[in-house]
Amino acid sequence: MTQILIQGMLLSGLYALIAMGFMLIFSIGRTLNLAYGAYLLVGGYVYFWLCQQMGLPQIVGFAGAVTAGVLMGLLKHRLIVKTLNGDHVAIEISTLILAVVLQAGVVLLFGDSSKILLPIVPGVVTVAGAQVTFNILTATLISWAVIIGLYLYISRTHTGRAMQAVSMDAKGAALSGVDPDRINLITWGISGGLGALGGVFFASYTQLYPGMWVAPLIISVAVVIVGGIGSILGTLVVAHIVGFMEVGVSSWSPELRGVFTMILIVAVLVLRPQGLFGREETH
Amino acid sequence: MTIALEVSHLVKRFGGLIATNDLSFTLNEGESLGLIGPNGAGKTTVFSQIMGELRQTSGTICYFGQDIGGLSTPERIAKGIGRTYQVPRPFSDLTVRENIRVGLMPDSLISMIFGRSDQSKENELGQSVGFSIRDLDKSASELAMGDLRKLELARTLATGARVLLLDEVFAGLTTGEISMISDLLKDLRRRGFTFLIVSHDLPAMEPLIDKAIAIERGTMIAEGVFSDVLANHDVRASYLGDTDVGS
Amino acid sequence: MPEFVERGTLRTMIQACYLAIFAMSWDVLSGRTGYISFGHPFLIGIGAYSTAILSKKFGVPPEYSIPLAIVITMFGGLVVLLPALRIKGSYFALVTLAFMELMYQLVQVIRPDLTGGTRGITGIKSLTRGAEAGYELAVTLMLGVALGLWLLMRTRFGTALWAIGMDEDSVRGSGLSTTRLKTMAFLVSALVAGLGGAYYAHYTGSLAPRALFDIDFLFTIIVAALIGGAGTIIGPMFGAFFLIFLLEWLRPILPGAERYFVYGGVALILYMYQPKGLVAIAQSLRDRVRGDNYDHRA
Repeated sequence: MTQILIQGMLLSGLYALIAMGFMLIFSIGRTLNLAYGAYLLVGGYVYFWLCQQMGLPQIVGFAGAVTAGVLMGLLKHRLIVKTLNGDHVAIEISTLILAVVLQAGVVLLFGDSSKILLPIVPGVVTVAGAQVTFNILTATLISWAVIIGLYLYISRTHTGRAMQAVSMDAKGAALSGVDPDRINLITWGISGGLGALGGVFFASYTQLYPGMWVAPLIISVAVVIVGGIGSILGTLVVAHIVGFMEVGVSSWSPELRGVFTMILIVAVLVLRPQGLFGREETH
Repeated sequence: MTIALEVSHLVKRFGGLIATNDLSFTLNEGESLGLIGPNGAGKTTVFSQIMGELRQTSGTICYFGQDIGGLSTPERIAKGIGRTYQVPRPFSDLTVRENIRVGLMPDSLISMIFGRSDQSKENELGQSVGFSIRDLDKSASELAMGDLRKLELARTLATGARVLLLDEVFAGLTTGEISMISDLLKDLRRRGFTFLIVSHDLPAMEPLIDKAIAIERGTMIAEGVFSDVLANHDVRASYLGDTDVGS
Repeated sequence: MPEFVERGTLRTMIQACYLAIFAMSWDVLSGRTGYISFGHPFLIGIGAYSTAILSKKFGVPPEYSIPLAIVITMFGGLVVLLPALRIKGSYFALVTLAFMELMYQLVQVIRPDLTGGTRGITGIKSLTRGAEAGYELAVTLMLGVALGLWLLMRTRFGTALWAIGMDEDSVRGSGLSTTRLKTMAFLVSALVAGLGGAYYAHYTGSLAPRALFDIDFLFTIIVAALIGGAGTIIGPMFGAFFLIFLLEWLRPILPGAERYFVYGGVALILYMYQPKGLVAIAQSLRDRVRGDNYDHRA
């Protein structure tokens, strides 16, 4: 039981970080960025390339991964989202295509086989009979630090509040002098950075392979849908529901690990489309 | 005279906001009623409730004596109520004729799949709002604003509507287009249609309505003959703002 | 024609025919009504698994197992996706994506004695002997589906579906029950998906969950429909042949999964350049050559 609690807590922190970046984009433009998982993919591989292939220090690896994520986010907004003029269907489809292209790009550069990412912080500690690697512990702590930082950024800074305004009512925000376009661009950048950072940890937790973007995408989708649009609290709570559920289920039947997550998405979407913590959309 | 539409004690709340506050009015068959009020007064919300696009919080909506407050939008349309939108919403990749065809379709899959479309009915409806036969094969995306309003009217008439709710029917039109639509509406009035009209263009609306009601923040503030409603102190205050009224 | 082409090309043609069927099935629902289904592999998978299990494990002859598989696809799809039709826009796409992923996981754990678990099913009875007969069957199926859908889409029902894709509220405002229309579109789409999936299972002779309930497969279906031209019948067929032959042509240069890099890149650029697809591009070229006015209809 303690084991499940601790493992669940740790995994949930990581999921919360991953889902946060996806939630930002979905709440600000109601756009489903299906290439979100690709940030994790690219982040993980950039870190691998810099640290394990080039032998550079870890901090360079992290910086490189986050920079790559931010750049991707900015480029995606400029080249795809703006070009398609907010057409949701077209954005969903092009981001899906882009994700597949990036996956193939990774295969082209690094090959098809999966890679082991060395633990970011090696070592194991036993807490109340539960084996906890320093690696996942670090990931969780950094996740929490980033989530708290993000929360403060959104609630305290001018840009953060503008992001909230745009997420609630883009037209209204534009009328009160916020440039939704700039806010969107910033959000895409942040989302990319968060995704890439999450990718490094996710890869160190599981492994690095070209198809690794799908699972975190589905988890992000689940968390955001179940949590409700634009709710950081909802994202956090549901990341924990999903995390604990996965840990709990896999201790009982590992094959069914993902099944409950899917059932949760479908049930919530059908029964309460605005999510558990979301506000009702007025139109 | 038969009462075509009777709205009584209609209330719509969005969370804490009251969009419609105990609104009651009646509309006789063949009559035309103007609904006026400043932006955000809740006029469109009233339309949406009559059409069933929004469900009222409380109150009743009766159509020829029958309570329709619980029916779905298609069911209400089948009864003979139709609306146009503030911003025309044509099917832009379809032709004018196909747009009208969608309005004419019966709500039955079998007749949609196996039945044929009635070309002469389409022509007739198109022409009744002033399209030429040639215009009917134009794509809706090519139409100017005035023609889009005509198209919406034709599509609404095609559904068999006898009571028409027109939302901002003059918005975005040139002077020429306004008089064209105005003539068209006068013609429809002569043919016995019943109207509920929302418009900001009060002079253009005046000749088209028998009486008017004014609402502000969802509450009715005046009712009666148009000129009286306009002269009403509260109505002037709501339209012009507090500062100008005292003078 | 089959006598003049090589075996390999014939196999490629067969692949293209099946992809065209899947793409047309996707297009009836998503291309017309704008409800993007990310779960089509789910439907195709039900069709394929049903006939495979029926014929292999229960010895049902294919002439019964295929129609049964189609009915199961329509029914199974309806039961799970009907509630999803009440959901709009992006959420619809998400539910369907979740269903595909769910199916992938379930197929492996529930009754692995029937589904073959992770390894899938092999040795499904073939319906034809030799590549030529397989090719003729695939082409017949594709043309049959195309003709059927073309006839259906010419009716007022087709026009109404198209209108839903442009403005669903206005269709409701015209007095039509859009839920009923979408359900019908979904049933037709499931019928075609089940049919394609079932025949495809008998053609390939084997099924594996990861090959079927997979984003790459989903991607290929959607891209074929879009690249060719959504909302048309010829478009998805055209797109399917274009993509399958592009993949084949890339095979000697890039043998592995990295083919998708070029393939996806081409798809992305084409899609961003003209979301209405190759059919619209061809049409505007033809019009430009002829000097006609640009016609918006494909």
